Amino acid sequence: MHESSLVMNLLDQVRRLADLERAVHVASIEVEIGPLSGVEPLLIESAFERIAATRGFAGTRLTLLEVPLVAQCPQCDRTFEIVEFRFRCPSGCSANVRVIQGDGCILKRMTLTTDEQEAQV
Amino acid sequence: MATRVVTVERDVLADARASAGEFRAARTAAGTLVVNLCSSPGSGKTALLAATAQHWSGRQRMAVLTGDLATDRDAQRLAPLCDVLQMTTGGACHLEIPLVAKAFARLPRHDLDYLFIENVGNLVCPASHDVGEHLRVVLLSVTEGDDKPGKYPKMFRLAQALVVSKMDLLPYVPFDVEYAVSDARQIQPDLEVLRASAVSGAGIADWCQFLERQRQRLVSGAA
Repeated sequence: MHESSLVMNLLDQVRRLADLERAVHVASIEVEIGPLSGVEPLLIESAFERIAATRGFAGTRLTLLEVPLVAQCPQCDRTFEIVEFRFRCPSGCSANVRVIQGDGCILKRMTLTTDEQEAQV
Repeated sequence: MATRVVTVERDVLADARASAGEFRAARTAAGTLVVNLCSSPGSGKTALLAATAQHWSGRQRMAVLTGDLATDRDAQRLAPLCDVLQMTTGGACHLEIPLVAKAFARLPRHDLDYLFIENVGNLVCPASHDVGEHLRVVLLSVTEGDDKPGKYPKMFRLAQALVVSKMDLLPYVPFDVEYAVSDARQIQPDLEVLRASAVSGAGIADWCQFLERQRQRLVSGAA
């Protein structure tokens, strides 16, 4: 299943980064998705619930940040939200627009628990 | 124990994209145009590839890596015409670069002009996976319905060309080619559009000339 493959890629990346940070636990993961990410939020969540514990991430919370699909016109520099997947500049420019948000699956942040002592304030 | 928030800002598929980029760079250096052929099941990908091989008739060095969940039926159809290797995914609904790269290594020759990757019949999941291609082509047959592009925006947005296939059946189906093309170009204005019939041969020469121009552009860019 498509979302399963994505979750496995995500957890592989999180594992590598968590090891670099010498984390003992990953408390939470925030992932940004949008209308052109090619994933369905409910299916990602379901795949994560199914897979995370089997990969050493029991107790890790996944938060999905859903963002709109945003593009920029290279001709007039206008930034705008894409509506109904019509990729045209609202100002009528002829150039093809460039998507700048909402077409990827981005690992934004991780909250880690490490062995470090809390800093004394 | 301490809690720390680490900012990452990295594509979940970054590793896969990097691998696909390496595969693509190696093919560029070798002068091989890699074409990822995507469509719904039954749109005519294998038939188009067979017609391509027959048209070139050995004048161009081509190979096909064909992907399906099961069987090697597509490979059997193409084997008399060109080098071909079947990739069976088992249950995966799309191809990914590790499988493609492994299959490529098993081809009998690598000094190719064209490497075609015939993706699993699916307009959804393959859209998200870079398999090392230079050119992504979507097939839409006239038997499928002219309103399909708007339903699969990611696939059409990320394609560079659309082949409207099975054009020999157009008189018998309520498919409006101009409507479908217009719908697709709302999503990807730069889409190159070709019309073809593998059965009648119509449009195959144009399709092959399009591929040859794309390869010439690749080779010139690398020079």
